[in-house]
Amino acid sequence: MKQQTQQEKLKTIGISFLALGFFPLIWFLFQAILFRELTEIISRNLLVVFALIIGSTFVFLLFWGMDKIIKLSPKDNRESLEARMFAGPSLFMISLFLFYPAIRTLYISFKDRYSNDFVGFENYKWAFSDPEMLVTIRNQIIWLIFVVSLVLFIGLVVGWLSDRLNKGEAFFKSIVFMPMAISAVGASAIFKFIYEYRPPPLTQIGIINGIRVSVDRLGTQCMNNRIIDGVFNGFGDPNCLKPIGWLQQRDLTNLPFTENLNPDGFLSSILINLPVNTMLLMVIMIWMFTGFAAVVFSAGIKAIPSEIMEAGQIDGASELRVFRSIVIPYIKSTIIVVGTYMVVTVLKAFDIIYVSTRGDLETNLLAVKMLDEFSKYRNFGRSATVAVLIFVCVLPIIVGTALRERENTQS
Amino acid sequence: MKKPLLVSFLLLTLILGACGGGSLEGEEVTITGALIGSDQDGFRAAFEDFTAETGIIVSYQGSDNFEQEIQIQMESGDTPDFALWPQPGAVVDAATRGYLTPLEDLGIDLDQYQNDFSSYLVGLGVVDGVIYGGANAANLKSIVWYQPAEFDARGYSVPATWDEMIALADQIVADGMNPFCFGMYSNGASGWLATDWMEDIMLRTGDGVDSYDKWVSHDIPFNDPMVKNAATLLSQIMHTENYVVGGTDAIVSTYFGNAQDPMFSKDANGNPGCFMHRQASFITGFWPEGEQAGAGSITTVFPFPSIDPSLPAAALGGGDMWGAFNDRDATKAVAEFMLSAEFYNNVAIRDGNARLSAHTGFDTSLYASPINKILGDTIAAALSANSFRFDASDLMPPEVGAGSFWKEMMNLAVEGPGYIDTALDTVENSWP
Repeated sequence: MKQQTQQEKLKTIGISFLALGFFPLIWFLFQAILFRELTEIISRNLLVVFALIIGSTFVFLLFWGMDKIIKLSPKDNRESLEARMFAGPSLFMISLFLFYPAIRTLYISFKDRYSNDFVGFENYKWAFSDPEMLVTIRNQIIWLIFVVSLVLFIGLVVGWLSDRLNKGEAFFKSIVFMPMAISAVGASAIFKFIYEYRPPPLTQIGIINGIRVSVDRLGTQCMNNRIIDGVFNGFGDPNCLKPIGWLQQRDLTNLPFTENLNPDGFLSSILINLPVNTMLLMVIMIWMFTGFAAVVFSAGIKAIPSEIMEAGQIDGASELRVFRSIVIPYIKSTIIVVGTYMVVTVLKAFDIIYVSTRGDLETNLLAVKMLDEFSKYRNFGRSATVAVLIFVCVLPIIVGTALRERENTQS
Repeated sequence: MKKPLLVSFLLLTLILGACGGGSLEGEEVTITGALIGSDQDGFRAAFEDFTAETGIIVSYQGSDNFEQEIQIQMESGDTPDFALWPQPGAVVDAATRGYLTPLEDLGIDLDQYQNDFSSYLVGLGVVDGVIYGGANAANLKSIVWYQPAEFDARGYSVPATWDEMIALADQIVADGMNPFCFGMYSNGASGWLATDWMEDIMLRTGDGVDSYDKWVSHDIPFNDPMVKNAATLLSQIMHTENYVVGGTDAIVSTYFGNAQDPMFSKDANGNPGCFMHRQASFITGFWPEGEQAGAGSITTVFPFPSIDPSLPAAALGGGDMWGAFNDRDATKAVAEFMLSAEFYNNVAIRDGNARLSAHTGFDTSLYASPINKILGDTIAAALSANSFRFDASDLMPPEVGAGSFWKEMMNLAVEGPGYIDTALDTVENSWP
């Protein structure tokens, strides 16, 4: 009896090697050779069509073949082998395209600019001492704090208020949700027009500067952009406000109201040094994701049983109290999910910076800095280091999500 | 099942190829590069006569992602016959790593080549004394754009020296206008315009091209008195009140492509926003549509004024360079053609062409637009006199040339003349 199990075990090992190792390898080589030959013979366009047809047929053949081989094994072990058969290809893909690059990036981050020699922790020392890198990390922290909290806060308020609407809720929500349908590149382009700057005698095409240079200030009258006695007055009136290159302001010193602030005071010095351009770029992302958050929260609020809400109201709780003591605890998990999503999105934020300022004038974020080090300064070691930093920031979130997932399945 | 057909086809080509014997008829030579759009069409057109004559089919493929693609191709060994890089530095990089074929192996007459393109330009593609790079096109940066009609109407004359330019600027300010257009914002590359100014001033002060070359190779430190002098002169332009239209804020905030727009816009009294704009020859592409036709006539250039009269006239510019990956006979023929004076003939006659031949023997009267003729003559003269110099920030290590140098120029513009020492010290410290 025992002898037979031993034999069965051996057989199973042999079959699993055949089915999960040898056969897929043959399968892969055959396909690789076939495609190499095909590219020589047929044109590129045709190849795409061929690849689709042949590729999908081959995937079918792979599973069919593996299944046939596994069928030869003893019955008891078949089920676990089948499971491995289905998990195998995806595990292989994940390790090839995710684990391997991740480990290699970590490895490269300890090497020099051309990945030739080991430099120990040099790159990490650089990451936390280089002034530009420090500014980038500062920006990333500002983004994380403000974008995530503002998206959650505004999203909650909008979601809660839209739920109170008697009619037109769907219309209102679709308007708020709309920015989500615009790509980050498109949104950045839109906001670039809002913040656009032209040197003073030219007509301002950016809406903020357009308003700035043609409105009256207290006490003085601005004559820009007016038709006086049938003659168009241009943009040369010195009494008007000056346009401001919004995305080029690293602090508030060019704004008139800061003139009266004492630069040595603690609070006022913080105020003066607010990075305007970074804040204005954050507006783009907040604008894009608030609607998304609002719609998700609104769905969560809708799911609250009306009895609980009514009970609260009967007990005489104020609107704010209901919001704080019933709504928030009830949709807590939704808030955590949206918050997690936003943290990851901010850490990956790339397109907004890439399109609008490309990181100039202290607006850089880690993801763009990673690319800069790679293609602009051609320093692979530092680029990999920045990538590792981003990964380390995301890591707690992955772990947290996994833990919560486990809790959910247990409860 | 298709095998027999394939085999017979292969046999046929073999037989046909054998019959062709010796001639390069039908051979294909591939070139990749960063030129796209109309530049790509122009570059392809350059080979039309050559193909008709020799039968060698030259196919050029441009890509805006060329620099990354060629890196991958080199590492995988799947290279084209030629690559045309927008910067000589990349040719040196590829040659150092052993991918390129020396021009000598391509049967190029090296003395003739140095004679035609100047030893300086050729020297940019040299590794350990071996010439790898083939010079191709050049552009000119040492120019100041102005509108002669506006100058004449007010009795201003074109300044030949720095002092004259400052005197003219003071005169314009006294007349209640702004002399300079200056905008150096550029997504991801903000500050390069000021580095160009610095380079032009460096070429005309100190020991001229000698100190310039030392500056580029870091044989003199970045905070050397000569460099400081250049920064001081630049700061005079940037920070003197009313010199730049829109003031210092405008320098930092204006996108370089829009910087010249004030010159084209007249106020109620008919005065333009500015009178002079120092910018490279390619800026015409950024002008408002209606103004582009006037390049070379309505809006034209004068050379960047000389500063130290004892130094010979110098010109700052950029240019691209090719490298060859093999020494096939067809490759040799194409290489020889690309280094001939006739190579740019078909390009020059095209409308809207902005690329200028770096060959000193090129017939500049062929250029379709008048501005190209002026620029082409200036480049040829500077190359012949060996006073043409390549953009320093492109030759410096990227941490400096595309990093701290740009950034500190932005900071200098914002902070004012008191920041010069800090700016130069910071760049010096960032040199790897």
